[in-house]
Amino acid sequence: MFRLLRPLVVLSLLVGTVACGPGAPSAVPPVKLTVGLGYIPSVQFAQFYRAQQQGYYAQAGLDVAFQHEIDPNLITLLGQGAVDIGMADGTSVIPAAGQGIPVRYIATVYARFPSVVMAAADSGISSPADLDGRSLGIPGRFGSSWIMLQALLASAGLSPDDLEIRLYPDFGQAVGLQQGQVDAATGFRNNEPVQLDLAGFDVTVLDVDAITPLPGPGLTIGESTLAAKRDAVRAFVAATLRAMDEINADPEAGLDDAITSVPELGNDRATQLAILEATIEMWRSPYTGTHGLGAIDRDAWSRSLEFMRGLPDSNIPSSLAVDRLVAEELLP
Amino acid sequence: MGEGRRAREQSAGTSPDTRFPRCESRRKEVIALAQIRLDNVSRSFTVAGATLPVLDAVSFDVPSGGVTAVLGPNGSGKSTLLRLIAGLIAPDDGSITIDGLAVADADQRVGLVFQEPRLLPWRRAIDNVAFPLELAGVGRAERAERAARLLDLVGLSAFERAYPHQLSGGMRQRVAICRALARDPQILLLDEPFSALDALTRERFNAELLDLWQRTGTTIVLVTHSIAEAVFLSDEVVVLTDRPGRVAARVEVPLGRPRTAAALDSAAFSRAAATIRSHLSGRADDLAAHEAAAAPIHDVLERAGAPAWFDPFGGGV
Amino acid sequence: MTNLKRLTNALLPIVAAAVVFLAGWKALVVIANYPDWFLPAPEVVAQRFARAWLDGTMWRHASATLVEIGLGFVVGAGLAVGVGYLLARSRLAERLLSPYIVAAQATPVLVLAPLLVFWLGTGLLPKVVICALIVFFPVAVATMVGIRSVDARLLELGQALRATRSQVVRHLELPAALPQILGGMRVGVTLAVIGAIVGEWAGADRGLGVLINLARGSLFDIPLMFATLATIAGIALLLYLVVVLVERALVGAWR
Repeated sequence: MFRLLRPLVVLSLLVGTVACGPGAPSAVPPVKLTVGLGYIPSVQFAQFYRAQQQGYYAQAGLDVAFQHEIDPNLITLLGQGAVDIGMADGTSVIPAAGQGIPVRYIATVYARFPSVVMAAADSGISSPADLDGRSLGIPGRFGSSWIMLQALLASAGLSPDDLEIRLYPDFGQAVGLQQGQVDAATGFRNNEPVQLDLAGFDVTVLDVDAITPLPGPGLTIGESTLAAKRDAVRAFVAATLRAMDEINADPEAGLDDAITSVPELGNDRATQLAILEATIEMWRSPYTGTHGLGAIDRDAWSRSLEFMRGLPDSNIPSSLAVDRLVAEELLP
Repeated sequence: MGEGRRAREQSAGTSPDTRFPRCESRRKEVIALAQIRLDNVSRSFTVAGATLPVLDAVSFDVPSGGVTAVLGPNGSGKSTLLRLIAGLIAPDDGSITIDGLAVADADQRVGLVFQEPRLLPWRRAIDNVAFPLELAGVGRAERAERAARLLDLVGLSAFERAYPHQLSGGMRQRVAICRALARDPQILLLDEPFSALDALTRERFNAELLDLWQRTGTTIVLVTHSIAEAVFLSDEVVVLTDRPGRVAARVEVPLGRPRTAAALDSAAFSRAAATIRSHLSGRADDLAAHEAAAAPIHDVLERAGAPAWFDPFGGGV
Repeated sequence: MTNLKRLTNALLPIVAAAVVFLAGWKALVVIANYPDWFLPAPEVVAQRFARAWLDGTMWRHASATLVEIGLGFVVGAGLAVGVGYLLARSRLAERLLSPYIVAAQATPVLVLAPLLVFWLGTGLLPKVVICALIVFFPVAVATMVGIRSVDARLLELGQALRATRSQVVRHLELPAALPQILGGMRVGVTLAVIGAIVGEWAGADRGLGVLINLARGSLFDIPLMFATLATIAGIALLLYLVVVLVERALVGAWR
């Protein structure tokens, strides 16, 4: 019995060393990171799935676990440090920080604001001013789409009161648009317009990027996590941005990795590819063109902060500065 | 035999009640006309599938303006008899007429006083008395005035605005009597009205009832299981047998009017009481027969489960 | 005992309980060192509460919710008394309606609310319907029990006095059943508050339920969220007290 033991021990040590993987620092356990993604798994998170599938996180000594949370919960969890990194709306970070929640935006994912207004191509609506007196469907008077709408209308000297707002608490405003219940509706650029287009319904899209450069969703972190896991997080950001660059060049590869992680997405490859390509479009902006994917545009943040402070019912204190909102130090 | 009746007729003209002028003039008529006649009345109830005969071929008259007592043991159908006269239930056989006219459904010529006061707890005394008038559509001012007068008649003027829970059992029963008189009925039926009171209060209430009768001239039929009460109050006592109730005897009470407490101790009183008892005692001595006759089923109209707030003296005796 | 002393004795346990609650809350915040955006201390909530009322924010939403509660309660309780009476007096009605009433009660309102909003839109109507639905059951059951337990001897009195059916209902049955019905309404009125909030969550522009969501998800103003919760609790308490006072006025005199 003891004679077998020695070779067994040697064998297990060998297996253990091999299992650690190439490039892994010897005997240092990987850093665990919980990453909060949006409410449901989606092809929009392809870069995370790719980085996971291709081993970029593991190579960086990270053990990444994904969680799915709705935005308000995510911000609070990030602030507490219960979730390490999350995909949070930039327009949520501003009021959250204003209320003292200690979160920081560390990398841009959506360089263009995803929330847009859609109108039927033959409705005669081609600019914000055309919305005056028309009907518009929106899930509710809150969230990034509400802020986007106010910014869009402000550019034409209008406010939501000048429109006939119709609530779709079940998020069916795109269907309402298709059925002619409303003249226009809000949506996410990589979702509803894509679906409508695939269904043969042509839409005109109005966005705010040229008007007010609102910050889209990006990697957000709690200040306590930033202090405690700085290096690990930096590695995470680098691995994620690498995946984004690769998918930018080869969307199909990104789709494959997404399907491996979330098999249900494989049911309709064509639609998912269209959504992914629309998503990749939003990772890119004139600013990232010159500064690289993930770069944070401080000037845009400044102007957005001004804008949100000026909204009615705004509770953002005048003392809040961009320094308190973003931290570019973790970008490569 | 006609002695008592003549004596009563004599006294009828000598003490008019100026508070009830209508009653006074009517009383002169009613002496000749109004009477209750029961002719071969039978009634049974179906309880748990079995038919229970309660009254069997009961016949008697109640002369107008007089006081008649109906006496009998438990289960003899006394309460059923009252309800037949009041028109709350109909006889299976035979007929009941008032003034020659058949008794109508809930006949309004009759005022009914139940064993328990059955006052509406959420109404003040005066509103309880006015209740029948309100149901009949009488105007507010008139019914308030009538109710006040009736309460004054029984000495409860000071308690017009009291709620039933603030009154004693005896006071509540007096209010109930006023309520029964609200529509100025020709006949007043009372179903063991004082059985919940103590003996001394009971004697006093008997005297008050006679006083009331004297002043209103209403025909009274009183159900009781107290021989003393029956003799003291009435001109004639109808004695019923055990279930099914039949008329065992009709005993005339030869006492003069007005009756005083002294009458209770007189020889005539004892004799009348003894006569009545003899019609009852045949059974009372025979324990076996008594137990067989006293079935465990109580009067079907006495239902269980009265809410506590209703009346502390409520329930069948 | 003077009236003042009696009042003090009655209020003392309530005040004491409130003090203990607030002290415990404060202690928790201090010991665990919770920030305002996680669990604000009582005084922080109190300040935010005062500010929200003073600048009109709270009233703007509270008034909307109060209208929903008011209408929902009136409709729900009104229907319930009628149906409850029917169930009490008609065996046929009871056998026909009971299964549906019980099934409707068993289905969680949270499930029904979005359906109702889908059919009826996001205006006042679906919220009134949801509120009425939630108020219906306790009041209907209380009415049914109350009417059934009316003393048969009182009803015989009614018969002897030749009362018509509507007179019996108005003068005998309803007053006798009133204590029970009001007891059901105590429960119903607090449930109405829940119904209004749930209705708002299913889709609304204004209301305390909307304000909770706004405070949590848009403004990240947790003290405001707590202040709104306090307002909701306060409204429920107030409405309950109103029913108690009504009960005292209608029933208290003769009990």
